[in-house]
Amino acid sequence: MIHVPAPDPFTVFGLPRALDLDERALEQRYLRLSRECHPDRLRATDAGDCIAVLQRAAEINDAWQVLRDPWRRARALLEAERPGVLERNKRLDPGFLASALDLAEAVADARGAATAPLRAQLTAALAADWDRLRGHVLRGELDAAARAVHESHYHTKALHDLDAKS
Amino acid sequence: MAYSDKVLDHYQNPRNVGSLDKDDPNVGTGVVGAPECGDVMKLQIKVGDDGKIVDAKFKTYGCGSAIASSSLATEWLKGASVDSAAQIKNTQIVEELSLPPVKIHCSVLAEDAIKAAIEDWRRKQSAREDGAGAGA
Repeated sequence: MIHVPAPDPFTVFGLPRALDLDERALEQRYLRLSRECHPDRLRATDAGDCIAVLQRAAEINDAWQVLRDPWRRARALLEAERPGVLERNKRLDPGFLASALDLAEAVADARGAATAPLRAQLTAALAADWDRLRGHVLRGELDAAARAVHESHYHTKALHDLDAKS
Repeated sequence: MAYSDKVLDHYQNPRNVGSLDKDDPNVGTGVVGAPECGDVMKLQIKVGDDGKIVDAKFKTYGCGSAIASSSLATEWLKGASVDSAAQIKNTQIVEELSLPPVKIHCSVLAEDAIKAAIEDWRRKQSAREDGAGAGA
């Protein structure tokens, strides 16, 4: 079987590669694209067409799952712009990692009233990660942008762990 | 996926959890992470005057295999010389804990943490020697 790399989700949606997308417009575009290539609508005349239609429908669905999630969209954007950039920038600053460990401990120990300020802190950290990411992307600093995406994962995970406790 | 008995043992009774004073000149600290799974591992060694590791501590935020890998690493580090500690390979951890292929990166993280801790300790040592030389 030949592996054909899937087109990046921005290409699937016919959108420019951008970090910030209007989510309502994105959803409308998704619904329109899905209607256009619905297998029932496009009566494929032969088996080849049928497979192509199904493949296109699957691509649209996959691209939608990526584009609707800001952080997955960011990863896709970086990979499309510079393949392998996320893999090459996995080594994070030890100071950051130490603070991530402290946060994870705080989440593990948080009880009752302590969870609200911690949730606010993590939400603010994620917003700051996004701003940093946006700045790096605008300046074309894709290596630093990749590290910002990786760092955000620690905050997303901590927030997820905190939510799982309550 | 089933964990091996040794992984479960280290996970349920982790050895040497805690912290050493990172500002102590005889303590080396390594903090490494695997961003794709959001794991982070801190491993510290305290080295005696004879170049032997007298204490080792770790703190790991991650899956059972990551915790077991770092717990096992601290067991091996205690009493070892710095030079032999630097030779510890992730494959030895994989073998001891019977880690499946999808968890090999946890053992790599432990090896990286050991190396980072040793590097940090060596940096402190040479800074101290430089300082002593300059001060004399």
